[in-house]
Amino acid sequence: MLFNTLDFAIFLPIVFILYWFVTSKNLKLQNALLFAASYFFYACWDWRFMFLLMFSTLLDYFTGLKMQDAYTQKSKTFWFWLSIVVNLGFLGVFKYYNFFADSFAEAVSHIGWHVSPLMINVILPVGISFYTFHGLSYVIDIYKERIKAERSFVDYAVFVSFFPLLVAGPIERATHLLPQIKKERAFDYTKAVDGLRQILWGLFKKIVIADNCAELANQIFNNSTDLSGSTLVLGAIFFTFQIYGDFSGYSDIALGTARLFGIELLRNFDFPYFSRNIAEFWRRWHISLSSWFKDYLYIPLGGSKGGNWMRIRNTFIIFIVSGFWHGANWTFIVWGFLNALFVMPSIVMKTNRNNLEIVAKGKLLPTFKEFFQMATTFAMAVFAWVFFRAENIDHAIDYVSMIFSKSLFSIPQGKAFLGTGVHPYTMLCILTLFQIIEWNGREQQYAIANLGVKWKKSLRYAMYYAIVIAIFWFAGKEQQFIYFQF
Amino acid sequence: MKKFIRKTSFFILPIFVVTLTMEILLRNIPNEYLYKKEYLDKHSNEIETLIFGSSHSFYGINPAYFSSKTFNIAHISQSLNFDYEILKKYQDNLHNLKTVILPISYFTLFNKLENWSESWRVKNYVIYYGMNVSNSLVDYAEVFSNQPKNNIKRLYDYYCRGNHDQSVTCSKLGWGTSYKSENSLDLVETGKAAAKRHTKDNIHLEKDKNIFNANKSILNLFAKWAQERKITLIFITPPAFETYRKNINIEQLKVTFQTANKIAIEYDNCFYMNLFSDTSFAGKDFFDADHLSEIGAEKLSKLIDKKINELK
Repeated sequence: MLFNTLDFAIFLPIVFILYWFVTSKNLKLQNALLFAASYFFYACWDWRFMFLLMFSTLLDYFTGLKMQDAYTQKSKTFWFWLSIVVNLGFLGVFKYYNFFADSFAEAVSHIGWHVSPLMINVILPVGISFYTFHGLSYVIDIYKERIKAERSFVDYAVFVSFFPLLVAGPIERATHLLPQIKKERAFDYTKAVDGLRQILWGLFKKIVIADNCAELANQIFNNSTDLSGSTLVLGAIFFTFQIYGDFSGYSDIALGTARLFGIELLRNFDFPYFSRNIAEFWRRWHISLSSWFKDYLYIPLGGSKGGNWMRIRNTFIIFIVSGFWHGANWTFIVWGFLNALFVMPSIVMKTNRNNLEIVAKGKLLPTFKEFFQMATTFAMAVFAWVFFRAENIDHAIDYVSMIFSKSLFSIPQGKAFLGTGVHPYTMLCILTLFQIIEWNGREQQYAIANLGVKWKKSLRYAMYYAIVIAIFWFAGKEQQFIYFQF
Repeated sequence: MKKFIRKTSFFILPIFVVTLTMEILLRNIPNEYLYKKEYLDKHSNEIETLIFGSSHSFYGINPAYFSSKTFNIAHISQSLNFDYEILKKYQDNLHNLKTVILPISYFTLFNKLENWSESWRVKNYVIYYGMNVSNSLVDYAEVFSNQPKNNIKRLYDYYCRGNHDQSVTCSKLGWGTSYKSENSLDLVETGKAAAKRHTKDNIHLEKDKNIFNANKSILNLFAKWAQERKITLIFITPPAFETYRKNINIEQLKVTFQTANKIAIEYDNCFYMNLFSDTSFAGKDFFDADHLSEIGAEKLSKLIDKKINELK
């Protein structure tokens, strides 16, 4: 079930009403309802993988308890590694097995060995990377004695499978979400309205921005060999907004939905395209994954304590692993590597912790320097996204080579957009308006969080209806959320 | 909580009312699906020749040139599974049926309506034919299955501009009337674009193999069904212009021909007319590189009728 479907528009009010009217007096019942609703939500995609989710949940639940109750360090370590190996094993088999087998066969073919590896024909269970990372952080935190194991299976299962975050995050931590699941929740009118507003903005980002940009970007990436450099730049920019609208839109809907149930999820995006360098970009993009890698990979590897070389090595490791997390394709690895390269100057010069505040805080416009920094960072992000979007490395290299040709200075070709629902210039106007709204709301949790709150009610409602009309009017072809495949 | 429900309902109510009104108004606009369904409801027991298929037969085979009582039940992008659903729905009423025409175009065996860009048409089978063929709620409403701007355009054209004659784009016998030779399109450009649209990247991919196998099974079901009732089944690969033929995948085409041939040999009531490269169809017969105009449709229809009469 996708957030941008009629099915979800029916599912959500039903669960909401049951949650606040039928089960509101009893926390256990409320959590049981969330558990059942989340599994139903997941089963709507493919019921068979519900058992995999259940197995993963049971595994981490029991190994957590076993670690907690272990009398010896040896036994604790055994349960810890059992969970880690099985979790990563599932991820490896479902997500990476074919990639490794194929890459191995290709590698040995260079020394004259020709092997036909056994490939497995299985679809990737939606959300496996997300719920596996939930489970891993839980198990690691217990092993490191940062938290105690959860005794209630239902509460733990809700932590792993809570439907707003189940398929594409944010990647939650037990320290943040479990206490909320275990606490009585009272309905808060202001938070619920805020949740609905965030859902509305998320739908706008997904349906108007991402889906329309997707049509244009797909058209250009699929026909890139016949197109001019300037058209390809436009294609890369459309993809840049597609992936932002898609994933941050999803996250907005997830956060807004969770807020309707009295639960606050981790913030996942903080206006990344207004960053002044790539290090800042990565503090604002997919925040829950970046902080996960920082806490569970970068710091255990030594972080930045061992001097510059260790910082450089560890930065490369987390960016490449982060790229690989996105998918079993060399394009993602190169994308991670490129980002590591881009972030390197600030790592070496130790300026990566600069710019912690949002740009031009409290001001209407950025300074010229800030504007230049933002434009440069945006250009680097666009360049890296080409590798993320391309079918394979050859495609990405061809795409980039074509961009840096004479045709870069030509007028984008109209034929590239034949058959797309929205005209590219209309889309550029929408994107400009979108960026103005985002800029205006950059100090809030999401762009329209404060927009119009002091306006007259009628004017505020008119704005919400305008967004609803825009969603219906500019509805592009419904596209799957990109991050579902990860 | 009550305040929240009240205010949310108050906000949603106008959207709900507009949506419901649009749904009712859209459903009241006559269309080919409703027309053909009503025709079959009333006349299925009189039909002697029934033409199935996608746009290639919708525009390319005109029942007016048949010597038997013929009806064209093809719709744009109608895939074999929907052909079969229509057959199942009306099979008990087709008492006079003697011949079934089932086009097998270059893309037919590798496509399902639900899986491509025209999937929004599934709602027509759900809403107008009353078929239970979709699990998606969207397919149960006009208003959700098409883009709002298209819906608004349809409403405006029908209710405001009074274009009542243009809402049903087929003749009384179900033939598509919009592809007129005087409006024909560039055969070179449409040839390239259509061939690309209809060609699978790799027909050996698991998902394409599954679709192919499902479609092959439907062809067998058609053949078996026709054999049991002593009905002649004619597979037709309609003519295509050379700009289309030049840009297609030979392997996909070969598999299509072989499959149709094999089934035609296997069942003695089944015949295969392969007109894909028929040179008697020239540029003036085409509306675009893979669709016939009314001139080409006349030619093809007469050819098929001749074949039916020869087989009698």
